[in-house]
Amino acid sequence: MKRIVGLMIVSGILIGGVVAQEKGGKVKKQESVRQEEVRELMKSGFSNDPRFAWKLNQDEAQKICSQYPSRESMPASAIQKVIELSTSGINYPQWGIYWGDWKEGKKLVESPRGGRFASYGFSDNPADKGGNCYACHLIEKGMPGGTMGPNLYQYGKRWNITKENMNSPETIEKLRIVYNIIYNSWSAFPCSSMPRFGYHGSLSPNDVANIVAFLLHPESPVNK
Amino acid sequence: MKKKLLLGIFATGALVGALSTKAIAQVEEELSPEEEIRLVQEFNRMLAEGINPGEIWYEVGKEAIKKYNLDKCDLGLGPGVFKGAAAQMPRYFADAGKVMDLETRVGWCLQKYAGMSKEDVLKFVRQCWGKTGNCVSEYDGIIMYLTMESNGHKINVNLKDPRVKRMYDLGKQVYYTRMGPWDFNCATCHAGKQEVRIRATKLWSADRPGEAGNAVSIFPKYLVRWGLPMTMHYRYAECMRQMRWPEFIPHSDLGVALSTYLYGLANGTEIKAPGIGR
Repeated sequence: MKRIVGLMIVSGILIGGVVAQEKGGKVKKQESVRQEEVRELMKSGFSNDPRFAWKLNQDEAQKICSQYPSRESMPASAIQKVIELSTSGINYPQWGIYWGDWKEGKKLVESPRGGRFASYGFSDNPADKGGNCYACHLIEKGMPGGTMGPNLYQYGKRWNITKENMNSPETIEKLRIVYNIIYNSWSAFPCSSMPRFGYHGSLSPNDVANIVAFLLHPESPVNK
Repeated sequence: MKKKLLLGIFATGALVGALSTKAIAQVEEELSPEEEIRLVQEFNRMLAEGINPGEIWYEVGKEAIKKYNLDKCDLGLGPGVFKGAAAQMPRYFADAGKVMDLETRVGWCLQKYAGMSKEDVLKFVRQCWGKTGNCVSEYDGIIMYLTMESNGHKINVNLKDPRVKRMYDLGKQVYYTRMGPWDFNCATCHAGKQEVRIRATKLWSADRPGEAGNAVSIFPKYLVRWGLPMTMHYRYAECMRQMRWPEFIPHSDLGVALSTYLYGLANGTEIKAPGIGR
């Protein structure tokens, strides 16, 4: 029990680190134009090609997040609602949380491809998938990355995961926390900039497990 | 100016030569580190020597304006009056009954004075979209010419006009709308007090004073890696493709709303086209 409390504190610290990076800004809910007008404007500005049209559908959480320029400006009730919406739909691999293949995870982390379609060229192939994680995160030592998200260098070490404890119940619980963040980042950080990769199906549960392994496995280059 | 232009043509020739091994690619390859470094060096050299191949499009546009009877086009200061005209756009046009930005207005004029259909215009606008190397579009030329005619003028969007203000407000709402399978909005990258990077690229922010102005006042912006100038509506389309949003239709009210918001934020900034980027 004590260990679990300790774990919660650790994840609290990690979460705190990310919150500090979120954008500042005051609440400016615009009332001069109606939401329906905005929707109409957007509908009229996009191709109605069925390959793209489905992307126009906004889910409830996106609608809430669109109203606030940053999480700091959100009322507690809205934060609560986004967390509820986001925690309910997390799916796990068939056998539950497990150590994925970090080498497969590395490929997904590095690939910027997947989901970028346009009729005029520069499109990804429909089968392409990747997390493009380096766009926002620094991850492996020596690999250039962005600074929009937190630095993930030695992420597994920071969770105190070693070869000896890597199959303990506590460690598996840590895997679950990181899995949830990648599967649906808004379950931990409501309205975060980070895409909800698993929720939208951009990455499968096994893909997410592989990425978690890349970040946390003691043998992964991330933790060297 | 002339000497610069000649240098520019020379540089483009060299660049096109260097890029021609890849010809006109339909898919933008992820660059190898060596190519990336070469592009950065090429870019730095051009910056240092004050060369901007984008200026070639000025001459292309000058010819195209005659060819397509756009000397009749009224950008808000009278038919064929182009000096400083781009700086006061987007604005309301009584003849069209709506607010238009520069590119949308040019599309409207192409329909009216060049006999193009809406579809023709879209094709004309997008003829170099998705292409790299040696693609010279008359449309890009027209936008380059008209923007460069406002060089030195300060952006002055009339937000006191309620019709313009409404488009500004709509644009702001769009800016913060989170949508699509990757949950992005414009503000994901271009808002916030703290400066952040996407890989090596520093992102400008609507929340930091002056940055929106610096970003939009240099469009159309010559891109070294593609060898062509990118107009604002092409920029919107590419942003939205990266955001995994549906495909953007140029000259739509969506584009006008975004322009009104961004150029409204940029009010007071001097226009300095073309910019240059990697």
